[in-house]
Amino acid sequence: MSSKNDIINNIRRHVSTEYDMPEIRVEAVKFDNPVAEFLEISRSVGGDAVMLKEGEDINTFIRALYPKAVTVATNLSGITIPSFNPDETDDPHSLDGVELAIVKGEFGVAENGCVWIPQNVKQKALYFIAENLVIVLDKNRIVNNMHEAYERIAASDYGFGVYISGPSKTADIEQALVIGAHGAKSVMIILY
Amino acid sequence: MSTKHAKSATLFIRNREQEQWHNETLWFVRQKRDNMAMRIPEWEDLRELAGKIKMHTVSRLDFYLEMFSSEAERNGITVHWAKDAREHNEIVYSILEKHQVKKLVKSKSMLTEECLLNPYLIEKGIEVVESDLGERILQLMGEHPSHIVMPAIHKKREEVGKLFEEKMDSEKGNSDPTYLTHTARRYLRREFLTADAAMTGANFGVAQTGEVVVCTNEGNADMGTSLCKLHIVSMGIEKIVPDLKSLGVFTRLLARSATGQPSTTYTSHYRKPKEGGEMHIVIVDNGRSEIKGDSEHVQTLKCIRCGACMNTCPVYRRSGGYSYTYFIPGPVGINLGMLKCPGKYYDNVSACSLCYSCNNVCPVKIDLADQIYRWRQNLDSLRKADRTKKLMSKGMKFLFTRPALYRTVLKMAPAINYLPRIFVYNKLNAWGYGRELPRFAGESFTSMWKKGKIRKTNKQ
Ligand code: SF4
Repeated sequence: MSSKNDIINNIRRHVSTEYDMPEIRVEAVKFDNPVAEFLEISRSVGGDAVMLKEGEDINTFIRALYPKAVTVATNLSGITIPSFNPDETDDPHSLDGVELAIVKGEFGVAENGCVWIPQNVKQKALYFIAENLVIVLDKNRIVNNMHEAYERIAASDYGFGVYISGPSKTADIEQALVIGAHGAKSVMIILY
Repeated sequence: MSTKHAKSATLFIRNREQEQWHNETLWFVRQKRDNMAMRIPEWEDLRELAGKIKMHTVSRLDFYLEMFSSEAERNGITVHWAKDAREHNEIVYSILEKHQVKKLVKSKSMLTEECLLNPYLIEKGIEVVESDLGERILQLMGEHPSHIVMPAIHKKREEVGKLFEEKMDSEKGNSDPTYLTHTARRYLRREFLTADAAMTGANFGVAQTGEVVVCTNEGNADMGTSLCKLHIVSMGIEKIVPDLKSLGVFTRLLARSATGQPSTTYTSHYRKPKEGGEMHIVIVDNGRSEIKGDSEHVQTLKCIRCGACMNTCPVYRRSGGYSYTYFIPGPVGINLGMLKCPGKYYDNVSACSLCYSCNNVCPVKIDLADQIYRWRQNLDSLRKADRTKKLMSKGMKFLFTRPALYRTVLKMAPAINYLPRIFVYNKLNAWGYGRELPRFAGESFTSMWKKGKIRKTNKQ
């Protein structure tokens, strides 16, 4: 406790000019067609995003994309391709080797291709450890920018939440961009 | 008398090819940042706003820190306070010891570099694994970061290839970045799966909600924290932002300024410990609260460690991170080093051409170059001013305040063109090192003007 007091007191002792909190009202970028922008940006950051066509079946669509994936993990009830429910495991380590995880995104952000995922599986490791990640997202839930995004989550109560935009990547060797550093090697966002 | 920076820079530029690559690569990152900024019409407003939010937060830091810690505690997180590096390291070790941790997997944190945490823990018998690819490369080489965002920017692929042959059993002679990255992925996956605890830094701490935000492209912070039951966060007191609304401003600026990406791949918000796990946040001062009282340098507390000031700095680009004596290089590092210990880090203040490019890119509008200028003005009081340069400055002042003498000397200047090099480039001319004097024109502008040799041209 005493270190806390020392630090806080030292901060107080150094009285500096007090600056007011500015009003955060930004005339932020908005898009005529946020969905189109979202699709484009998602592709430009190394991921992929598609809009499911009228009447197109999501299961057929995913199967066609990953014909060889055997270990498929999802807790979404609408997914009928052979898969297992990752929520049944108590040990996140057991998820190593999952080839494809199918999860639900809460909303997307047009300006940077981020998808907000408040933890909606038992083991959050699933989002990162799977070789490939499919995020299913309602096309009516695309906001323009991060200001709108944080407005959306302001009242929500999550223990963990993450914005994901594209696959895991690095440029740590000579600034050469390499996809698939530690997390998913591919990310596909399916808007429906 | 040459500063330590100048001496190390001389070593760096000896490898011309490497120097040029370093310079161009970082400039390319700067250009990517510009492209991102130009896509956002409100970019300058965002910078202005971000600077103001930070200034406000710093001026009320006691209030926001208390709010942050009580919110975090309400969420079930254990909050610790460390006055200095030693206390920080002791706290981290005591948590690890309590949980009988043998292997700790870390994601990038400049604060733990500052505290020299790794050697401390290793000494205590804990295996420490850096998981950011660049950091891991350097850890295996026994070196430290030369850039705060791109830690291994000074390494060539061949060096990494050689290292991996030895440490990760990679193919001989293969230095393809994709191949090497995927080799490291496999190796580090094993480390993640066998680690007992995960440690991260913090990009932001949100006072309103008590959550910590960590941004990575690799996903290494999340791999570690989602597999291990124990998560320890090291956070400097200046990382606080008031609320989620302000966080929106900073997340828009950070990646765009740092690497020219619209966002990092992962922006993770840790609000509660995971089910059945523990989360600890160590809030570290280590000299920061002192800066708050220094009106000339208080703005350094606004820094969000994006590295943009390094990428744009002509001196950094051409001299490399290791030429600075403080562990954070570039414009912000010059200032932070001086705030830490001027007597030890004064060499770095010379590593600046006062071009002000850093001021113009900094996403939180820190007056970096102005601060460096102020340090230089005060070097005399530190008795660290360069004596030969001072002597020359005095000479120049003498000359510049005596127009007649100045004109006479100028008339004679062309003679320098014919002087043997030893008279011009000698120990007394500190600026002669690494610089070539331009040829003096045969006749000065003033004298040509007076003789009517220069006329206004009437260009329509
Ligand atoms: S001083 Fe500004 S530009 Fe430099 S690292 Fe900090 S925030 Fe970025």
